[in-house]
Amino acid sequence: MKKNKMFIIIIAVIFGTALICSLPIWGKPRGNAVNIRSGGELICTIDLSEAEDCEFDIKWGGGVNTIEIKDHMIHVKEADCPDGICIKTGWIGGENGTAPIVCLPNRLVIEPADDTSDGRTR
Amino acid sequence: MDKKRLAQMGLLTCIALIIFVVEMQIPLPVPVPGMKLGLANIVTVYAVYRYTPKEAALILTARIILGSIFSGNPSALLFSISGGILCLFGMIFLKCFIDEKHIYLSSIIGAVLHNMGQVTAAAAVTGTMSVFAYLPVLTVSGCIAGLFTGICAQIAVNRIGVK
Repeated sequence: MKKNKMFIIIIAVIFGTALICSLPIWGKPRGNAVNIRSGGELICTIDLSEAEDCEFDIKWGGGVNTIEIKDHMIHVKEADCPDGICIKTGWIGGENGTAPIVCLPNRLVIEPADDTSDGRTR
Repeated sequence: MDKKRLAQMGLLTCIALIIFVVEMQIPLPVPVPGMKLGLANIVTVYAVYRYTPKEAALILTARIILGSIFSGNPSALLFSISGGILCLFGMIFLKCFIDEKHIYLSSIIGAVLHNMGQVTAAAAVTGTMSVFAYLPVLTVSGCIAGLFTGICAQIAVNRIGVK
């Protein structure tokens, strides 16, 4: 019985820590630059505060994601992945969260970058 | 392996697959990659407590491989497998400490381990650590989903006696 109590405490601690750690996800990002990665490779780094509105496709394997930049924010506009989670994640940049946009079926990640010193601006 | 047990395992795999396919139709309100109810794991938890580790592993692997074919999303296979294996090992290990009356505890830890395995695989595949940003959210959802599947498995284990 004592052992079970120990496990309950362990689970409570894990749950509490995770709950606290998951709050900053929707907080303000550090910079305004994002990295776009496809298939494990860094495709480009975009400074959203300087970027102009545009649309482009990122292809990996048989999949295509259409990425749109508008008003210094970025999102996945269209994707042919089965779940469409990358589209539902919505916009990042500006005041929107720090959580990366991930499209696992197409191996695409759009993540907030710390700096833009080594990247190209699009 | 005797015939009756083999048939039971086949039946369990089948039940897990049906739950998996039905669950695919349930939309989730929050768009977090990898977040799922994981109802099919009711069968996994049940198998861990009623079958040998090897048999439970067979049921889980068959369900994951067939499930990824049925869902038409073969790229999800890698993440399911890595999460599933970690979850299975964890639960088989926890079975030594947690008795049959508290299956939900081991189910919660199993679910959290499953999420960790998934996120690690995702980080390896996408080549960036930033996907770990989703780990806390997934852990919270994993605790809740794990509790639910654990309670379901608990009911099943209580009702179906040892053969």
